[in-house]
Amino acid sequence: MSKFFKSGNLLGAGLLLCGTLLSACDTGTTAANTPVPAADTAVPTTAMTGGTATPGAMTGGKKIKVGLVTDVGSINDKNFNQASYEGVQQAEKDLGAEIKYLEPKDAKEYAQLIDQFVSANYDVIVTVGFALGDATTAAAKANPNVKFIGVDQFQAATLPNLAGLIFEEDKAGYLAGALAAGLSKSHNIGAVLGTDTVPPVWRYGEGYKVGAKAQDPSVTVQVTYHSDVDISKTFNDPAWGKTTALSMMDKGADVVFGAGGNTGNGALFAAAERKDKGILCIGVDVDQYNTVPESQPVIVSSAEKKLTAGVFTLLKAVQSGTLKGGNNTGEVGLAPFHDLAAKVPADLKTKLDKITADLASGTIKTNVPPAKP
Amino acid sequence: MTLCGQPVLLLLLSVLITALSFATPITLGALSGVICERAGVVNIAIEGMMLSGAFGGYWAAVTFHSLLPAVLTAVLVGGLMALLHGWLSITYKVDQIISGTVINILGFGITGYLFGQWYAHNAPDSPGTLPTIPVPGGGSLQFLAVVAVILVFVLYAVLQGTVWGLRVRAVGENPHAADTVGVNVRRVRYSAVLVGGLLAGLGGAAYVPGYIPAFTPGMTNGYGFIALAAMIFGKWNPIGAWAAALFFGLTLSIQNNLQSCGVVQGPVPVGIVGMLPYIATLLVLAGFVGRSTPPAADGVPF
Amino acid sequence: MAETTTAPAPAPQAHIPVTTEQAAGSLVARLARDLLVPLLAIFTSLLIGAGLIALTTGSPGTALEAYGGLLTGAVGSPQALANTLIRSTPYIFAGLAVALAFKCGLFNIGAEGQVAFGGLFAAYVGYAVPLPGLFHPLLALTAGVLGGFLWGAVPGFLKARTGAHEVITTIMMNYLALQFVGLMLAGPMKKPGSISARTPDLLPTARLPMLAANLGLHSGVLLAVGVAVAVWWFLYRTTWGFEIRTTGANPAAARYAGMPTVRNVILAMALSGALAGLAGAVEVVGVALNVSRLNPGGDRYFGLGFSSGYGFDSIAIALLGRSNPFGVVAAALLFGALRAGASTMQFNTHPEVPGEIISVIQGLILLFVAADAIIRRLYRVPATAAGSAALTTGWGDKL
Repeated sequence: MSKFFKSGNLLGAGLLLCGTLLSACDTGTTAANTPVPAADTAVPTTAMTGGTATPGAMTGGKKIKVGLVTDVGSINDKNFNQASYEGVQQAEKDLGAEIKYLEPKDAKEYAQLIDQFVSANYDVIVTVGFALGDATTAAAKANPNVKFIGVDQFQAATLPNLAGLIFEEDKAGYLAGALAAGLSKSHNIGAVLGTDTVPPVWRYGEGYKVGAKAQDPSVTVQVTYHSDVDISKTFNDPAWGKTTALSMMDKGADVVFGAGGNTGNGALFAAAERKDKGILCIGVDVDQYNTVPESQPVIVSSAEKKLTAGVFTLLKAVQSGTLKGGNNTGEVGLAPFHDLAAKVPADLKTKLDKITADLASGTIKTNVPPAKP
Repeated sequence: MTLCGQPVLLLLLSVLITALSFATPITLGALSGVICERAGVVNIAIEGMMLSGAFGGYWAAVTFHSLLPAVLTAVLVGGLMALLHGWLSITYKVDQIISGTVINILGFGITGYLFGQWYAHNAPDSPGTLPTIPVPGGGSLQFLAVVAVILVFVLYAVLQGTVWGLRVRAVGENPHAADTVGVNVRRVRYSAVLVGGLLAGLGGAAYVPGYIPAFTPGMTNGYGFIALAAMIFGKWNPIGAWAAALFFGLTLSIQNNLQSCGVVQGPVPVGIVGMLPYIATLLVLAGFVGRSTPPAADGVPF
Repeated sequence: MAETTTAPAPAPQAHIPVTTEQAAGSLVARLARDLLVPLLAIFTSLLIGAGLIALTTGSPGTALEAYGGLLTGAVGSPQALANTLIRSTPYIFAGLAVALAFKCGLFNIGAEGQVAFGGLFAAYVGYAVPLPGLFHPLLALTAGVLGGFLWGAVPGFLKARTGAHEVITTIMMNYLALQFVGLMLAGPMKKPGSISARTPDLLPTARLPMLAANLGLHSGVLLAVGVAVAVWWFLYRTTWGFEIRTTGANPAAARYAGMPTVRNVILAMALSGALAGLAGAVEVVGVALNVSRLNPGGDRYFGLGFSSGYGFDSIAIALLGRSNPFGVVAAALLFGALRAGASTMQFNTHPEVPGEIISVIQGLILLFVAADAIIRRLYRVPATAAGSAALTTGWGDKL
């Protein structure tokens, strides 16, 4: 966890999309659907400096009990379950919270596991993943005294005790696409994606295409989604991810973006295998330089969602009694270039900084809807 | 002439390489099924054996930081699961489908449990994956993909041309007759099941450490059952099973390429493409392959 | 059939009191004897599971904590009992589905897809066809049965007409069903405005009557037991049932006796599919995705990820229940209890014991019940005349 935070703390490290949880970030895609202009200004903008503030446990907040329910897949997925849980672990460390996680075996267990925490009088329950949205909403309605934080769960209607932590994956994808197209020598790039039935994944993919074409109109973008239906498969198939990425490379791609849990990690493994051929890759959700060490020679960046910081910020709000329902937009951006910083031309870096600012200010719009129409 | 931005021949080559890659664990799994069932022991446990093998491969890879012991461990773990299958179905004469189901459930449970218990909070560094073999014209083949193809013909030769192979087929067709002429039916069945387990374990190695450096619970994702289908599709013959595995690989590859070449981006949902391999299989089965007859004593305890 | 060879010596002695007891009609004694080995099998499996937990965590206390949690979560409170029954209900239907196919010598790996199809059909009636009161859930269930029936009939038809093996076709049709369901949920049946792949909420009239609304316990479990009785009656008291069993046990004899084996195969697969479809339908109108007291009167709908895992669990349940409808009910209750207890088990342990231990225990139970000779040898239980019969005949491919 500490490893994640060292590099995950982007304050010095480069490209931020929304420097903090600014309301400017909300003018983007999420407004297109339902006009719930994220009640996220409630989240203090000091969020990112939380690490430097005095431990919150001292400042009058009570000791909270935090339960987390992962999505199908494990707590150690080196990806979004893990990063979200690290936010909970930070609450244990910095806020003195009592923490606990539960892993469902299938989608029918979501509600039962949430119920487990409710019965044990937990103060706040974090549910991780788009798929838990309906179960979380139902639980929040039935238990108005318990706070809920739904990661990747867009709130179409506001419940006072349910805060959705959402991210503008299309913008992160846009940046990844611009980076990939800017780095590609063959003008051919690829994206290996979990499933288009999960909107955050689909938004990564669509943003990636738009960003790549904006950077290089002549670029070929190969995009493949896992075609299974069951999410326990679509996010859990590294072999498929690797084969698919290799196939794209055989057809000329020299930069691949892997987005979809373990499946996406397969694309990173594929790039690592072809490191002698100058193949590069881009990770997703967290700074995968840290979580997939095999990819270190070839991973240039990751389209990052600040899950850990976002979860921790909301937990702090719970402790101080300031949590409000509705959507909270977390930060997205590109992770540091790490070892490959020298491979990214200076003008591309400048350009990415500009894109970052323009995406934040709304000058650049991705025009990606919240979900596949 | 170009297609999908590629010269047609190169594109075809790439489609074939991808197909071969998808087909590798299916091929090894199907061979595992073939050898067990030719000896008269039904093997629906391919999935469980492969998954256990992959976990064993991962365990050894991160424990010994070396690939060769990892591959060997994967193979041995597959063999161990097979011995359990043999112990239940040959020694205790447990219904072979029950025995196979037991191994599938245990394989999923034990690997998931141990992975959660041992590696949930600290994923160790892995020694990587097996080397690849470059293909002229671009691309590469995984090492075990080539091994799998060789094994198809080795197994065919063993079944058709060796004494052991003859005995295996004999106990699978008519164990009592084999018994009468002095063949030790149990021993032959045990040996065939063990070889099948080793092959399935190698199928697990085709995941970890052959192809993927990290274990993921349930990572065989039902391919063991596709392998079972390939075995039946291929009429319990190694070469037929391989052809069936290639067919599955090819349909997966084609639907993948349809997506990445942009043929089905946009209005046509991905799901329709995802149906192609299965519709194709059903059509082929219904139209061209027809009845596939198992060895006469397949599933019959002795 | 295994018994005579594995335990030759004590068998005759054990046999004599058995027959006298049977003559006396001592049902209790018979039941106790029949249950002894399964209970010992369960006990042994739990013991090995505990050993595994103790060994891997290095603390026997963790195993106790885990099992305490398991027990509490399965039967420790009215809510826990309700959870067990709710979890068991689809297992009963799906287990009966696989068992019925076994009786005809068919191996239906396709329960997964049939459950999904049944759920989809039932959901459509539930949200799109307004009907008064009890008629609504009834029609929804009927639609689910029909969906499963049709989807199950296809592999039966292919097998009977073209010889395409049901194991392959049902595997393929599982994938197809899930893809189709995914397409429908993301397309024409998607809840307007929703970003998830799910149907609209079912109309309140479509809900199954509740047994205990505050516990979320719906009446599906009663239906399940009723259907188990019906399946038993069908198999053992009707001509069609007899013919299906004969076709399964000896297809050549069945054909020789002039039985329509082709019809029997199609019928058995279709009925098997219908039972699985009913599992999905009951889940949709009874609980949908929110199995919880959090949401007893809450919305029901059909969403992605609905049917994961039924296919293979139901095979294990049918095998554990020896394809006997009442055995299936017992096995389903056991699996349901283990599943219901799993979350409390995880919750009560520090660090969390991975939930996959449940699969380990389930696998072991199946192992020891099937290989009862191991248990008999371990505990010195004499063999009975009624040994374990083979349930399946290999690929059953002698049509």
